[in-house]
Amino acid sequence: MPSIFRRTHWAPALGVTFLLTLGACSGGGGGGESADDPITVGISLPLTGDFSEPGKGVQQGYEAWAKIVNDRGGLLGRKVELKILDDQSSADRVVADYEQLIGSDQVDLVVGPFSTRLVVPAGRVASEYGMLFVEPAGAANEVFTQGFKNLFYAAPAVAQDHYNHLATYILALPADQRPKTVAYAAMDDPFAQGTAYGLKAKLEAGGIKTVVDEVYPPNTTDFGSIAAKIAASKADMVVGGSQYQDGVNLIVALQQLRYQPKMAAFSTAPTEPEFAKAIGNKTEGILSPTGYSQDAPYPSNKEFVEKYTAQFGKAPEEDQANAYTTGQVVEAAVTAAGCAEQGECQQKLIDWVHANKVETVVGPLTWDATGKPQGAHMIQQWIGGEIKIVLPDATKEAALLYPKPAW
Amino acid sequence: MPSGGLLLQSIILGLLLGGLYALLAAGLTLYFGIMRVVMIAHSAFLILAAYLAWWSNERLGVDPLLSLLVTVPLFFGAGVLLQRMLLSRLRAATLTMMSVLLTFAIALIIEGLLGYAFSGTQRRIQLGYGSASFGLFGARIAVVKLIAFGLAVLALGSLYLLMKRTSFGWALRATIQHQDAARLVGIDTERIAGFGFGLGLATAAVGGTALSLDTTIYPSLHWHWIGPLMAIIVVGGLGSVPGAAAAAMLLGLGQSLLQIPMGTTWAQTVFYVALFATLAFRPQGFFGGRLAQRF
Repeated sequence: MPSIFRRTHWAPALGVTFLLTLGACSGGGGGGESADDPITVGISLPLTGDFSEPGKGVQQGYEAWAKIVNDRGGLLGRKVELKILDDQSSADRVVADYEQLIGSDQVDLVVGPFSTRLVVPAGRVASEYGMLFVEPAGAANEVFTQGFKNLFYAAPAVAQDHYNHLATYILALPADQRPKTVAYAAMDDPFAQGTAYGLKAKLEAGGIKTVVDEVYPPNTTDFGSIAAKIAASKADMVVGGSQYQDGVNLIVALQQLRYQPKMAAFSTAPTEPEFAKAIGNKTEGILSPTGYSQDAPYPSNKEFVEKYTAQFGKAPEEDQANAYTTGQVVEAAVTAAGCAEQGECQQKLIDWVHANKVETVVGPLTWDATGKPQGAHMIQQWIGGEIKIVLPDATKEAALLYPKPAW
Repeated sequence: MPSGGLLLQSIILGLLLGGLYALLAAGLTLYFGIMRVVMIAHSAFLILAAYLAWWSNERLGVDPLLSLLVTVPLFFGAGVLLQRMLLSRLRAATLTMMSVLLTFAIALIIEGLLGYAFSGTQRRIQLGYGSASFGLFGARIAVVKLIAFGLAVLALGSLYLLMKRTSFGWALRATIQHQDAARLVGIDTERIAGFGFGLGLATAAVGGTALSLDTTIYPSLHWHWIGPLMAIIVVGGLGSVPGAAAAAMLLGLGQSLLQIPMGTTWAQTVFYVALFATLAFRPQGFFGGRLAQRF
């Protein structure tokens, strides 16, 4: 066993020497050298495997951010360089990746991967090293119950809060106009169900009755029976906690039964580019919360949409926008703190983000102590064959249609 | 207690769904009858046919039903080739087992090719009459669901006539009932088995097209279908087409009605409860077939 014995001692020794050399370099180099050094940002993304589609979207968002910052002259006068590793959508890989990025690659900053399943383990590594960890995807509640003090979700709201503006709007209606009964159908998925149940909790607290409460498994393809239940209840309003295909199929099944609610709200599906065609353009009056809109009038959004479109040949979607927002938050913190490296600087960055509001492409963001964003999603509505922002009043493009026209 | 209206609506939806299940399961029970093979790839072929129907509507602008003119002969040919080139070469002793592996591979290949050609994006055929429906005693019947049901009746009806009234059908049934005896009376069972397989796959072409009218399709969708379809053919008595049809109607209706008190998640278990009950109490199936007794 001597060879193994020796090897186990070798590796750390070599590592320590390496780190010391690195430390000596950056310490001894002085201000002049660090100003020329690029700021490296370490990221692990699911470029293959289950989350490869959204993973690539997030990658494009980060690349757009780096390019726009560098074209502007960089961060603190230093160029931004991304170091992206592929975690194959695996929670084990993502831990190893961030260990490597922070420990051996000595990146100056890290930002988050995609999906709750990967954000939590990655956040734990970043937390152990005391690194600021802003992440673009990880809206589920469990992200904020881990006791992280260094994590921030760079989006307007967690799933439960997506419909907040709509809940406020409904409860502000005069009592005789308010919908009196609501039917809920939600996919058995923490995100999709979270959106519907967030609204349900608020409406029930406001005295609006729940008449149908259906939960269906993610593989459901036949929505006839669920639609029959909803149609038979004659609910004034229908709320779908949907992803994509389930939302489309449920809406078509409801239309086949000639169910005409006064208000219909579905998460995710109505904001997808293929939605209108998929349901035969019978979209009139459908509401949907959205975390990002290319038309949102926030100052940096116009620049983002223009430059992103020039770089990639198409307009950005929500995944890209969330990654870009992550970049904007880190950028604001670095600019304010005047530093970007491992060590004490990271705590300065974390404290700054906790204490400040950041203007981003998804609006101004602030966070509570657990890193949960304090906003709500915009509400969009299909009006005359186009999807338009209707809530909140500050960003709206059109007035909300209620009761909705027949679909 | 559900209202009368909801009950009637659920019964109608259940019958329409059951008809579709019957069509989708017909081929599966046929393969088993003919060759004792478990054809895992059957639902993958269904999705392939659904994609071809979607594609002909999207790219060529023709009604998806017209795609049947091409897909039915194409699938028949593919079925004959599949049986002659691959399945008939498996050793008889391990046929059932190895056919699972072989057709599993075929299912994966089809899924992969679909993903490669059409990407993983979820597709849905856009029809002018996609959400049209008409009333019947206060319940609504969706036109697309009725068309799918009509296709099922038509396909299963022709299959029945073919099996009962033509000499090919007699030969096919003889092959299903007793292969050696059929060979003794001069039936070329190899050839008949090939054609029988083609027939099974042709029903997949019709079934896939019917399915595409009212569902969103994506390459991995077939995994959701193979379980319920397998349960249907076991309950119906392996190898019996009328048995499978009866079981499909019953389970479709059961699923639809159970959804009212139990919700979607638990109503899905009706297939597996029926499967376990069949295997435990009446392994030859509840509707005629006797083949399963041999295993």
